Amino acid sequence: MKKNSIKKIKEVGTLEELDRIAKMLVRRDFELSEIREKRDAELKELEKRNKEITGSRIALMNILEDVEKAKEKSEEERDKTLAIFDNFPEGLLFLDKENRISSANPDIKDLFGLDPEKIIGKRIDELGKSSLAPFIDILKESPKGIYRKELKLKENLILEISAIPVMKVEEKIGTLIILRDVTREKIIERLKTEFVSIVAHQLRTPLSAVKWTLKMILDGDLGEVSKEQREFLNKTYISNERMIRLINDLLNITRIEEGRFLYNVQKQSIIEVAERVIASSREEAQRRGIRFEFKKPRKKIPEVKIDSEKISLVFQNLLDNAIHYTKTGGHVKVSIDYLKDEEKIIISVKDTGIGILKDQQKRVFSRFFRGANAIKTETEGTGLGLFIAKNIVEAHNGKIWFESRKNKGSTFHFSLPTS
Amino acid sequence: MPKKILIIEDEELLCNLLKRKLNEEGYQTSVAKDGVEGMKMIKEIKPDLILLDIVMPNKNGFEVMDEMQTDEKLKHIPIIVISNSGQPVEIDKAKELGAKDWLIKTEFDPQEVIEKVKKQIG
Repeated sequence: MKKNSIKKIKEVGTLEELDRIAKMLVRRDFELSEIREKRDAELKELEKRNKEITGSRIALMNILEDVEKAKEKSEEERDKTLAIFDNFPEGLLFLDKENRISSANPDIKDLFGLDPEKIIGKRIDELGKSSLAPFIDILKESPKGIYRKELKLKENLILEISAIPVMKVEEKIGTLIILRDVTREKIIERLKTEFVSIVAHQLRTPLSAVKWTLKMILDGDLGEVSKEQREFLNKTYISNERMIRLINDLLNITRIEEGRFLYNVQKQSIIEVAERVIASSREEAQRRGIRFEFKKPRKKIPEVKIDSEKISLVFQNLLDNAIHYTKTGGHVKVSIDYLKDEEKIIISVKDTGIGILKDQQKRVFSRFFRGANAIKTETEGTGLGLFIAKNIVEAHNGKIWFESRKNKGSTFHFSLPTS
Repeated sequence: MPKKILIIEDEELLCNLLKRKLNEEGYQTSVAKDGVEGMKMIKEIKPDLILLDIVMPNKNGFEVMDEMQTDEKLKHIPIIVISNSGQPVEIDKAKELGAKDWLIKTEFDPQEVIEKVKKQIG
């Protein structure tokens, strides 16, 4: 065998062949170790992956648990919201973006006789001539903020409707409509107004009897009156006039509340209306030793659409206050300005009177308000004048405001639109 | 011949005051205490002017004016309303029914009523 091999080698004849084989063996060996290393690396990778998967599984389990909890919580929240919605003591409707009814609470049935189940998913205008029809108008106005309106559905059912846009981030997702039965409140309000109105009328009768009698005695129609008697009778006459004014104020307020306040609205000159009132105020100011000034605009100003009787009352109230709360030697000034660009006329009544205390300024236009310093100066006064003035000005789409400093004076302004 | 004035007013004191004042001015004054009596007297005495209250028992001032409108002989008698109230709606309604003037009692006194009467019938 050995001989054969050597022989064979010899036969091959070369050492190179041997070398080639040896090299090949070395290379194979190297390749094998490379494969082994690669396999080891893959195994390590696999092990790592396995660990990761185990980790992920735990994480996933945790997440699932959280989701479950969140679901429970959201269901709880949903049930709570639904319970609030259903038990809310007022009618609630939720409309989606297309004004389709997406929820309605049981109160809707009481208010409209509509089965909430049957109207879900329908658009309001699809309900045809249903009792919900008046809403269509409200929704057409597409309220951006909270919208309120009173609606008389039947003789014995008055609703106050509030439409509230529901926003999610910046986007409107629907409208919540709240329907409140205000029938009872309205009845009470009406009864109160009627009561005041009747009382005021009934009070006027004896007051006119007193006024007429006193006037005839003072005029000497019923015989001669002594100087002393005249003095007393004069004071009684003034008291009676005060009472008449108070009742007139109360009647004006009931009219404001009944919403039938403006009557005879016509285009006319504000200066003429002002001049009529100013004539009597000027005399009163002179009697009290107050300098009175009326500054008319230099140029012609447009006429305004007003109920002149009511606007006179605003002038009267502002002037009465200015004169009553300004001491002898003071100054009252009325001015009228036209702001062409803003299309309005501004009327100002400025006095150098006692002013309004700063902490009371917010309440100036509320009913029965009288300034603490005003009560000390003048016992007379109902605290209704400025409330009435504000209502009249606002009924004309105008605004009323003031500036005032204690012991320096007040300036009241009101604006009236010219367009 | 003095001018005849009829006062239709349920408040006795006001009636007496007005009557006295009007008589002093030389008018011949009669008084009715409600709308029914007033209507009867309008037909009877055919006054030259009527001072008419609105809120009265039995028949109110508006009803009196309504009835006068349907009678050719009475519809031209001038009427001055003397009322406690003075809402523009009422005043307009009265003017439609032929009232010449509307006085709110608390805002006028007897002397001013006389002036309004004189303006109508001298």
